[in-house]
Amino acid sequence: MSTPARIEDLLRECAPPVLAALVRRYGQFDACEDALQEALLAAYRQWPDHGVPDHPRAWLRAVADRALVDAWRADSARRRREALVALDPTAQTQTGDDTLTLLFLCCHPALSPPSQLALTLRAVGGLTTAQIAAGFLVPEATIAKRISRAKERIRAAGARFEQPPQLDERLAVVRHVLYLMFNEGYSSSAGPTLQRVDLTNEAIRLARLLHRLLPGDTETAGLLALMLLTDARRAARTDTNGSIVPLAEQDRTRWDALRIAEGRALLTRTLGTGPVGQCQVQAAIAALHDEAPTAEQTDWPQILALYHVLTQVAPGPMVTLSRAVALAMVHGPAAGLAQIGTLEPADRAALGHRLDAVRAHLLEQAGDIDEARAAYLRAARSTASEPEQRYLGLKAARLAPAHE
Amino acid sequence: MKYMIMMFGGVGEAIADRSPEWITGFHELMMKLDNELRESGELVDSQKLMDPSRARTVRVVDGAPVPTDGPFAEVKESLAGYWIIEATEERAIALTAQVVGYSGYPMEVRRIMDEPPQM
Repeated sequence: MSTPARIEDLLRECAPPVLAALVRRYGQFDACEDALQEALLAAYRQWPDHGVPDHPRAWLRAVADRALVDAWRADSARRRREALVALDPTAQTQTGDDTLTLLFLCCHPALSPPSQLALTLRAVGGLTTAQIAAGFLVPEATIAKRISRAKERIRAAGARFEQPPQLDERLAVVRHVLYLMFNEGYSSSAGPTLQRVDLTNEAIRLARLLHRLLPGDTETAGLLALMLLTDARRAARTDTNGSIVPLAEQDRTRWDALRIAEGRALLTRTLGTGPVGQCQVQAAIAALHDEAPTAEQTDWPQILALYHVLTQVAPGPMVTLSRAVALAMVHGPAAGLAQIGTLEPADRAALGHRLDAVRAHLLEQAGDIDEARAAYLRAARSTASEPEQRYLGLKAARLAPAHE
Repeated sequence: MKYMIMMFGGVGEAIADRSPEWITGFHELMMKLDNELRESGELVDSQKLMDPSRARTVRVVDGAPVPTDGPFAEVKESLAGYWIIEATEERAIALTAQVVGYSGYPMEVRRIMDEPPQM
């Protein structure tokens, strides 16, 4: 049976290789992407009634080819000649490499992060503009515009459909884009709901894809492990009201054991086989949290040791702040507060409400209730997340003298 | 007809002296009404704004526009969030009354200029 859901899965699987093949042949990413969208729409219209063709990729390719020819026919003869020049019939590469090249193109450094995310979701993730818009909670027209501008920029930057020379550097950008996508879905920096499942799943799907293409890349494996080990706690992170449940109070029986097992296995296979990077260390920290049967049994000394490694591999204000939490758990709140005190003013500004939220927790642990309450309120005022604001506001309210 | 229903004030003002039960109850009421509006198809848009203390106001100073920290109005008079609904004025007011009845803070209902020209 070709149910709409099956057809959608199939189309999303077929879309990246077909697009890659088109770009390889015709060289114009923007025109090819438009043509593929047309072919996908035609498939969505026809396949449910007429059945899935025997060779879905070839079908999509043929429809997209025709759409391209129509577009060029309607266009000027000059553009058509350009397309013929770009045509390179000798190029023969495997589909996997093509998908990777497509990822590099979508995560081109000339694009802003929101554009990289949108383009990656459409060209490699195979999502429709409407689905992407729903994921980001913006109007469909906004995403459509973002994607068309991104394609223009890629053309203006003179990007070609080939693997970039600075492979490691560009790979780091791709990983960063996938991480942003995951985070956008997982912590939902703005908006009413804490988690938007679609973006998280998309990021994991794409990280899996990247890992399959580059099985030897330890940081990509680390990224996938980090996503799995973090996402494993998804169901326990919110209560029925959509309010935040902090790690220490989560019902650990609701954690996803399969994801934890997969993430841990991946991490075990990876660690020690290549250079240690921040994704692997962060995944190792997430694994330690996931392995603890209760919050009290968390191996904080080991977590603190890993934050020490992370400080050397990828120092930053966020790492310092997280290390302060680990320090407090091992050596008491005063040690954590002292660590926070070492942050430079610029770092403090970059951390925003997170700094106040952590300070508030540590102050509360230290028994400084008035200061803790003030810090919770400050944090509540400066977050852009509704669930976070409610959580921090409630924390402040519980410390208010009038309601003891 | 479309109406904008506006709430005012900042987080600090809204929750500083409230009990945790009050805050949770308020959230539950807002969620219930929000769901109701979504289910009925009346909801056009709804947004909550960051705390007004985080606002920046751009004013002309010495002939040039200059940004300054803080909201344009007093914090308690600053927009905190809004619903835009497609409904009668009666319905918009009844809805607003439910929120005001709980919170005690005044709210404003304004018609959106959504009519085509007739002259």
